[in-house]
Amino acid sequence: MACRGGGDHVKLPSPPLSSVNPGSFATCPTSFHNICMVSDFFYPNMGGVESHIYQLSQCLIQRGHKVIIVTHAYEDRKGIRYLTNGLKVYYLPLKVMYNQSTATTLFHSLPLLRYIFVRERVTVVHSHSSFSSLAHDALFHAKTMGLHTVFTDHSLFGFADVSSVLTNKLLTVSLCDTNHIICVSYTSKENTVLRAALNPEIVSVIPNAVDPTDFTPDPCKRHGSITIVVVSRLVYRKGIDLLCGIIPKLCQKYQNLNFIIGGEGPKRIILEEVREKYELHDRVRLLGALEHKDVRDVLVQGHIFLNTSLTEAFCMAIVEAASCGLQIVSTRVGGIPEVLPENLIVLCEPSVKSLCEGLEKTILQLNSGALPTPENIHNIVKTFYTWTNVAQRTEKVYELVLSEDVLSLNERLDRLISHCGSVTGHMFALLAVLNYLFLIFLRWIIPDSLIDIAVDATGPRGAWTHHYPHSEKRDDNEKVSETR
Amino acid sequence: MCDQPVTNTKEVKWQKVLYKRQPFPDNYVDRRFLEELRKNIYARKYQYWAVVFESSVVIQQLCSVCVFVVIWWYMDEGLLAPHWLLATGLASSLIGYVLFDLIDGGEGRQKSGRTRWADLKSALVFITFTYGFSPVLKTLTESVSTDTIYAMSVFMLLGHLIFFDYGANAAIVSSTLSLNMAIFASVCLASRLPRSLHAFIMVTFAIQIFALWPMLQKKMKACTPRSYVGVTLLFAFSAFGGLLSISAVGAILFALLLVSISCLCPFYLIRLQLFKENIHGPWDEAEIKEDLSRFLS
Repeated sequence: MACRGGGDHVKLPSPPLSSVNPGSFATCPTSFHNICMVSDFFYPNMGGVESHIYQLSQCLIQRGHKVIIVTHAYEDRKGIRYLTNGLKVYYLPLKVMYNQSTATTLFHSLPLLRYIFVRERVTVVHSHSSFSSLAHDALFHAKTMGLHTVFTDHSLFGFADVSSVLTNKLLTVSLCDTNHIICVSYTSKENTVLRAALNPEIVSVIPNAVDPTDFTPDPCKRHGSITIVVVSRLVYRKGIDLLCGIIPKLCQKYQNLNFIIGGEGPKRIILEEVREKYELHDRVRLLGALEHKDVRDVLVQGHIFLNTSLTEAFCMAIVEAASCGLQIVSTRVGGIPEVLPENLIVLCEPSVKSLCEGLEKTILQLNSGALPTPENIHNIVKTFYTWTNVAQRTEKVYELVLSEDVLSLNERLDRLISHCGSVTGHMFALLAVLNYLFLIFLRWIIPDSLIDIAVDATGPRGAWTHHYPHSEKRDDNEKVSETR
Repeated sequence: MCDQPVTNTKEVKWQKVLYKRQPFPDNYVDRRFLEELRKNIYARKYQYWAVVFESSVVIQQLCSVCVFVVIWWYMDEGLLAPHWLLATGLASSLIGYVLFDLIDGGEGRQKSGRTRWADLKSALVFITFTYGFSPVLKTLTESVSTDTIYAMSVFMLLGHLIFFDYGANAAIVSSTLSLNMAIFASVCLASRLPRSLHAFIMVTFAIQIFALWPMLQKKMKACTPRSYVGVTLLFAFSAFGGLLSISAVGAILFALLLVSISCLCPFYLIRLQLFKENIHGPWDEAEIKEDLSRFLS
């Protein structure tokens, strides 16, 4: 991902929804699936994709499915780890190439992934993020093995430059025979449909969610003066350059205005320059990198949340801030206009002038007491996006996908050739055939029947809920690492 | 999901919002799908003759390379006396120097704040150093095979043409690299000439034609487009003539190249514009249009 910050400074968040008990769900799943989430991005890396995968997996587990996660090794975090509720994570020993994305040859991950898919009895492979090459690899292998595939796209991409032309072509290839695609906003759906030349009927929109119990308002943490909070990675795409214009302009106009800026990144230096030049050390606080659990404590100190992103598929940050009861001022880009209703968000054009006008209007409303109270905002927002809802909707996608047939090799080759252009299509058709031969070879070396079945930690026969003798469990873990 | 029949679709209008639970399946495709899609909003309409005019920069550079090689060939064959080339070169440089200031009425000089004395000094320093080092240049590549020298010169001149700043805003453009490659080629070729005086004059000529001439061209193109077209035509014909005196086939091929670049390529560019499908929409990364540097400096 172009601007992903690598971050191993973040610890695992507290288990979500620990208070929610499965029986309270409105609908109960009719059948249980074995789902494998694949992405290069997972904890200890931090970001929207990572928490999406984690929270969605936890909710699916609560609903009785078996979920495992496959990602690549992060430094010494390798092998198999169990997270809350027996969520099993495979950290595969694959070489990281760029921005936490693994290098791909399209074939080298087949032995490992096949082993995992077989021993975990996976029925649906769910890949995340178009920037993750491991996710695309897994889709490719899963299709070769005849498994059902789902892909979630978390980001927007342009069409103008050479790099996006190439990535879009690869996405076309990767998604042309994927059963179903999930996007996080309608804008993201339009973008993905155009990029990968898809039939819009196989693309569902399921937004991200925020755990409202993690983001509760606390107005007594606010100080007397007006505080504007910004929490984002300090990179160009988040519009930090705009922020550098807004800070001096507003601080000169309003004497009782403060800024709190959380996050780290290459653009921090220009924020520091601005603070230096206009002597705003006591009014602009730069907090540096924030742990996910500290975000709420920062957010509740502010009255207004400012988002200056230049592109955004969904923007969790504004939902989190709104859930903490802040008034939102944001740029009108990507999927942001879809996320919050008009009375909770002030949308501006991505320019210093427009954003300053939006902020001034909000400050005026704040001073006159025209804004809803934080408690009210929280109560409205908490009903919008919940992980349970996301899980239910994703579950429906799985059911739909499982009712469809996976394309046979013949049909798959036809689809590749007819859908991806003659040159690319034939090339990838050849690769698909080679992959298939490789799979046959692997099956000959180690037949599926010789591969151990892994212990179900979660799912219908989940071992997590049973009491396993300690030693027995460890034996099993050792066996796991040997067989790999 | 999509297999659920939705009964009240007609009464409820779909909204492009995520926070509402709408009675539509998640993969519902509304009539408004992709309504914000825009195509070719930044596409430029080209005029044929304007494109032909702009292509003259490429023509000029091709001709420069051609003239340079022809002159080198004449020197190598002993058909052109070095003194004569030096005299012509110096004279045309002086004329060019005067023209350079005359064309824009001295505006550029005022802006840069460079004095004539500074110009004279750099010219003197350059000429003295090149003259002093010309024996070294002459013997520099003695141990290298002549074929290698020719191949290297060809690659360097091609590189010069590729990286030259024709006015396009692309990453590949680098006028420094382009000039360096041309000078390298000239040093390579000069080292094959009979005497060190030849080498000195050849390198001086290379500087004139690859460094100074494009600067004058640029100014002429901006200030007096008509005379620029005339000069380009004249230059192209002289390059063609020079090449014709060496090889008729080469000259014809060169002429075909020039014609195709100046006439056929613009035609194709305009034809291909019809097939342009540049997609824009709300997913595009926003551009910061304001100048934000004032907040920093």
